[in-house]
Amino acid sequence: MLFSLHFSLPPAITPLPFKPLSHVPHHHHTLNMLPSPPVLKSPLCSTMEHFTLNHHGKEEGLDGGVEVDQTLPLGLRRETMPRHVAVIMDGNRRWARSRDLPVRSGYEAGVRSLRTIVELCCKWGIKALSVFAFSSDNWFRPKVEVELLMSLFERGMQEDTGIFFRENIRISVIGDLVKLPQALQELILNLEETTKNNTHFQLIVAVSYSGQYDVVQACQRLALKAKHGHIEPSDIDISLIEQELETNCSEFPRPDLLIRTGGEFRISNFMLWQLAYTELFFAQSLWPDFGEAEFLKALLAFQQRQRRYGC
Amino acid sequence: MDFTWPKRMLYFWIDKVRNIILRLSWHLVHAIIYLCYFTMGTVHALESHLISRGLLRKYKYLHISKINYLAIVIESEDACRTSSVIELLQWLAALGIKHVCLYDNEGLLKKSKDLILDNFDGAVLFQDNHENNVLLDQPQMTLEFVSFSDGKEAVARAANVLLMKYIKSGGTGSNWGEQIFTESQMTEALKTVGSGGPEPDLLLIYGPARCHLGFPAWRMRYTEIQHMGPLKSMTYGSLIKAIYRYTTVRQNYGK
Repeated sequence: MLFSLHFSLPPAITPLPFKPLSHVPHHHHTLNMLPSPPVLKSPLCSTMEHFTLNHHGKEEGLDGGVEVDQTLPLGLRRETMPRHVAVIMDGNRRWARSRDLPVRSGYEAGVRSLRTIVELCCKWGIKALSVFAFSSDNWFRPKVEVELLMSLFERGMQEDTGIFFRENIRISVIGDLVKLPQALQELILNLEETTKNNTHFQLIVAVSYSGQYDVVQACQRLALKAKHGHIEPSDIDISLIEQELETNCSEFPRPDLLIRTGGEFRISNFMLWQLAYTELFFAQSLWPDFGEAEFLKALLAFQQRQRRYGC
Repeated sequence: MDFTWPKRMLYFWIDKVRNIILRLSWHLVHAIIYLCYFTMGTVHALESHLISRGLLRKYKYLHISKINYLAIVIESEDACRTSSVIELLQWLAALGIKHVCLYDNEGLLKKSKDLILDNFDGAVLFQDNHENNVLLDQPQMTLEFVSFSDGKEAVARAANVLLMKYIKSGGTGSNWGEQIFTESQMTEALKTVGSGGPEPDLLLIYGPARCHLGFPAWRMRYTEIQHMGPLKSMTYGSLIKAIYRYTTVRQNYGK
């Protein structure tokens, strides 16, 4: 799924951040409304003196890990960046069909897009990214396509292992993994084990996953705990269920922002429990076309919202 | 001859003129962007008005039969606007929607249930007794009122039901990976605790944030979600547009 992640960090010239003069309210009647325009402060001077030169160098951290200097693009605020972003990567096949390409090309383009988003997340301080790579419903797709996807997962994980270590990325895979080919299962277990101490960023890949499955397996685990006397049946509550969900592998189990590409406005059985207060962003572009500009739009929309988390 | 002073003055004025031009360009770009967004906002408002009047042919004939079950999520701050809720229900009834689920996180709509039913003619309380997941065709609109307690809390209660059944049956599963519960069993358990209910085809969110605020997650696997903005800004035209958009959607269900 991930091919040769390459984090190139050249020196960059970035303008001073502009502060908005006033908040422009925006009215939403449908999800297709564009967000309000950014209010920009005019520069005092146009000369190069007012641009800062940032060198995105790599510095060794105290723990020996690699620290990367991060600069946010115009308009984004670090203090309100989402900690956990979830993505439903929809539109690979339509992308390929629209270009008269085989389906494989669509998925490979999707991999490149994922690589870009992972890189941006690392650069912009997002701590976790969950991606809906393969739904439990996807098993009903043509066998050839399913095998193609399994081989893409396997190859991606093998090829990017070095990158995960170099960039201090932790990999977690959630879903009903027993349905996966044995070799892939072993690869996943090995990768999870060897990256479990990486702390800079976590990539959670949902494979053979469904939100209902996640809830059921959590209840199952609690039932077995009760059977073995670890908990009382009457102890089962929301908090205990949340602890058993597969997303509990993350320090931030509940996504702050969900992005779905492909123009569809639904969550398709992804993280049903976890998305209760998640900001939903439905992008029109197909996943292989979802790049930095679109991601920035989603993050800006997130930062402009008033979220009350049910309070 | 000393050319230093005139040269410096020349550079000074070049810089000044350049700054003025750049600043003017900046303001011009800013103004153009604002104008674009203002125009788009006006166009949307006009479109909504035309849709409300039935003047746009595209929206005149809606395939309402595609919507078996419609859910409305209202932010709790707006949930006390009972008159607006009733107006919204009247619009839905006029469009031919037969089954509606009203949700707010804190259960304020549940508390106002009697008031809403009294003031909205032609609606009865939803009874979750449909067979084989087929909603019964009724002459009156059915209204279901749900809150946070029907979501995650209900799942916790349902989990308890499953657990008690499992223990009573003398469950032999001791392998942590073995499947002892199924999704169907959870669905049945939720019905047992009174939080069954069908999966909505379309969910309309009225509130400032684009999130479903804890709507019963078990029931929204493939539900289309549309954010409509604050309840106080609701318009008939935007409602029609959202429903129209849903009726044009084609789902693959992952296949």
